[in-house]
Amino acid sequence: MSSPTENHHWTMIIDLDRCTGCQACVVACHVENNVTYVGEEEVAMGRFMHWLLIQRYWGGEYPNMQARFSPIPCQQCKEAPCEPVCPVYATYHSEQEMLNIQVYNRCIGVRFCANNCPYKVRVFNWFNPQNPEPLDQMLNPDVTVRSRGVIEKCTFCIHRIRRAEEDARYEGRPVRDGEVQPACVQACPPEAFVFGDRNDPESRVAKMAESRRGFRLLDDVGTVPEVVYLKRGVTDVEGI
Amino acid sequence: MGKKISRRKFLKVGATAGATAALVAGCSSDLRPYRRSLEPPLRSPEEALPGEAVWYASTCGQCPSGCGIVVRVIEGRARKIEGNPEHPLNRGRLCARGQAGLQALYNPDRFPSPVRQSSRGSRDFQAVYWDDALDLLAGKLKEADPQSVAFLGGVMSDNLFDLASRFMKGTGAAPPVVFDLLSALEGRTTLAAASKALFGVPALPVFDVGQAEVVFSFGANFLETWLSPVYYGRSFGNMRRGRLRGRGYLVQFEPRMSMTAASADEWVPVKPGTEGLVAQAIGKIVAERRKAANVAGLYKDVVVGDVADASGVSAEQLGKLARIFDTVDHALAIPGGALAGRNNGLEATLAVQALNVVAGNLGQPGGLSLSPDVPSESLVTASVPASYADVQALIERMKAGQVQVLMVHGANPVFELPKASGFREALGQVPFVVSFAPFADETAVQADLVLPDHTYLESWGYRLVAAGGDRPVVSAQQPAVQPLYDTRSTAEVLLNLAQRLGGSAAKALPWKSVREHLQSAIGPLQALPGGNLHAASTDAFIEEWQSHGGWWTTQEKSGAPGASKEVLSSTLVVPNADFAGDAQKFPFHLLPYPSILLSDGRGANQPFLQEAPDPMTTVAWNNWVEINPKTAAKLKVTTGDIVKVTSPQGEIELSVYVYPGIRPDTVAIPVGQGHSDYGRFAQGRGSNVMDLLAPLTEKAGGALAWAATRVKITPTGRKATPMLARTESAEGVERGFRDAENPG
Repeated sequence: MSSPTENHHWTMIIDLDRCTGCQACVVACHVENNVTYVGEEEVAMGRFMHWLLIQRYWGGEYPNMQARFSPIPCQQCKEAPCEPVCPVYATYHSEQEMLNIQVYNRCIGVRFCANNCPYKVRVFNWFNPQNPEPLDQMLNPDVTVRSRGVIEKCTFCIHRIRRAEEDARYEGRPVRDGEVQPACVQACPPEAFVFGDRNDPESRVAKMAESRRGFRLLDDVGTVPEVVYLKRGVTDVEGI
Repeated sequence: MGKKISRRKFLKVGATAGATAALVAGCSSDLRPYRRSLEPPLRSPEEALPGEAVWYASTCGQCPSGCGIVVRVIEGRARKIEGNPEHPLNRGRLCARGQAGLQALYNPDRFPSPVRQSSRGSRDFQAVYWDDALDLLAGKLKEADPQSVAFLGGVMSDNLFDLASRFMKGTGAAPPVVFDLLSALEGRTTLAAASKALFGVPALPVFDVGQAEVVFSFGANFLETWLSPVYYGRSFGNMRRGRLRGRGYLVQFEPRMSMTAASADEWVPVKPGTEGLVAQAIGKIVAERRKAANVAGLYKDVVVGDVADASGVSAEQLGKLARIFDTVDHALAIPGGALAGRNNGLEATLAVQALNVVAGNLGQPGGLSLSPDVPSESLVTASVPASYADVQALIERMKAGQVQVLMVHGANPVFELPKASGFREALGQVPFVVSFAPFADETAVQADLVLPDHTYLESWGYRLVAAGGDRPVVSAQQPAVQPLYDTRSTAEVLLNLAQRLGGSAAKALPWKSVREHLQSAIGPLQALPGGNLHAASTDAFIEEWQSHGGWWTTQEKSGAPGASKEVLSSTLVVPNADFAGDAQKFPFHLLPYPSILLSDGRGANQPFLQEAPDPMTTVAWNNWVEINPKTAAKLKVTTGDIVKVTSPQGEIELSVYVYPGIRPDTVAIPVGQGHSDYGRFAQGRGSNVMDLLAPLTEKAGGALAWAATRVKITPTGRKATPMLARTESAEGVERGFRDAENPG
């Protein structure tokens, strides 16, 4: 069990055997984190703002076609290539949570970090967010609304982490396994996501991270990502 | 504010600053113990406690499946919708459309009040007072012959369906015709008709995918929009986890690789219209292997070789698939909506359901069951809508001038019905059209009077869960926020109208308020054994019901169907599917399919659903026509080129998306775009595929045969401007995964 004073090691597991590509996580993330929409022309120019994107890969040729989905949030790399290039220390690594933090009011919008990210998960506010009234009433008060000229990215829903820590501290207990659920994890119908503290050896993520199906994206680059993917399984039909 | 501030100091600061509550809300974590004790001097309503969230349990209204939701409300505003963890259908999970529901509530293009339109289609909406609007409608209803009043419903809560039915009966009019495009694409009427024929009950089937070892899905896009996508999404996850029986195996039979097929282990691109034949052939082989005497008659006329020729699936592959289906103890077959979309829909659905009889899984874990009976006589459900034939009959009545007043709720027939159905023209023959739409959709624009309903997050109601789950559920719907505008729930409007009309109408609707009606419907549940709620009084029971998000049994309880021996012993012939359009002139099968984000088009006015990329093509904010790469090469078109898609019924222009997962003789177009109205986010994007469809019906049950039209493709030489918006990179189009057999 992790205690409130100890450091956490937040980790996300994404089971590709369960992911169906349904976009529930993507929309949940938009609503929870006040991520704006940009419209057709901007999407066409690659200026979409999704913090979490489901990549789709084709394999084979008709009729032996296959398609695979892979949700890609910020990988919260331990050796994050985005951090050393920031001239104003707007992105740094938090030792307490082992998360890659983006400080919006320090960001000056040079976009070096986005350029350096091998996962392409950092998005830039080319414009101020559009929220024609009364759409602004649904904005989540726990999360800053970013303005033009600022980089943003997945935070693992750090406001939810903080809330859970606060609740635990108030009740004088450690954060329970499964208590923190980022919006994407919570929404996912087939439960492809698991989130938790790897410092707690009893947690689900600590066990699942050791799975034989586990791998990390672009592992050879040396970024040491904190998102562990579980590759798709195979049913032995002949052996059924 | 730091962590180290003392309590005494904090109180001092609070007293001098005055705005204590706001300050507390903004303070850091250690101050939390004081939050509850420092309220403003006057006891404020619970939702106005600054910084504290209140959660309201309710039921999602974005599609008919009835998932439980909890709405996070801070300072009277809804901020987030999440799945209700207690609700047996979705267990805390929610799909993309459910998540985006706040954009229906806070949509900038809602009607703020009832409006009249000077002339239809003028969009010159004049605000009117509710009293005047209701007087007007009551006057029209009094004038009109009761036989000439019609109510066309769509996705509505069951309490409203109940009230509308009683209202129509009370006034002596024909019962409401409930029809929406999504239900037609799901094949609900055909599924119920097949259940009636095979099991004797016209109930929707429920498939326990989670505990099955082998699942054969015949065109059922159950991970996308079909019947209850969150329930089936959860079940799919359980099937993959395979705690009990190892990892499950999913085979998808359909002409186009849907998102469900992409998640399957095997995709079999059968020729459109032959899914039922393939099920027959597999059934025959399995029955022979098992020496099943009870179904021998069923497959008497099936010749596996002929099926192989017709379907394009080799006899060898059919044999292999049958072996897989036969070897396991828990095999399951699912008949999808696309089967119902052809004239042999009922027979094809029966052929697939017969596979479940052969597998012996009826009522078993990992098998087929039927949606549970309505738990109390005080409740009704509109889970099986009217067939398209009923809508056609209504259109005929309208054309003949037999309809004086038409009321439309929860559906958008001008957009959703095939253009060739003639609904739009028939509407011109109706002297008075009333719409209850909260948004200016295509039908509201053709109405004389709009009485905007609340959105589902502002309304009371209940919904019976019929298309998924493992037990009877009466899901509760309650307002999460105060109504935003001067709108009024249609249930209340009907009660009011009944009072104005008096006589038998007032007798049919004796309730003073929507809540009172709800109490009379829900109250009897209290006496039923095995429920999840315990309360001393009826009032307390209703409160419990609302705060938990519904009533359900604590134990699993599904209808175990018994198959009719008569059907099983007589030969089942699946006729060849007919397609509208000459095969020479119109060389391609057209496969429309519901968009996972916009469903049948009702999500198109929610920007998050427009912005989220389609899972297979990654296209946002538009629609497209999917063409096999070989076909595209022959036509000399590529992704982003604009082509003309022509059917015998009409033509539309769309961007091409070169789609590797589709048969060369088939093209597919998602439903949902092509709105001419419906607000700033929806209108003027893409084209409506319903403009192409022939208004054919499935022969036996009268369902809309929506997948039975042929088309031709003509390049225009133009490119889409702006470019077709995709989130995949140009590089991503070409890039595959390294090892197709063992990705990752």
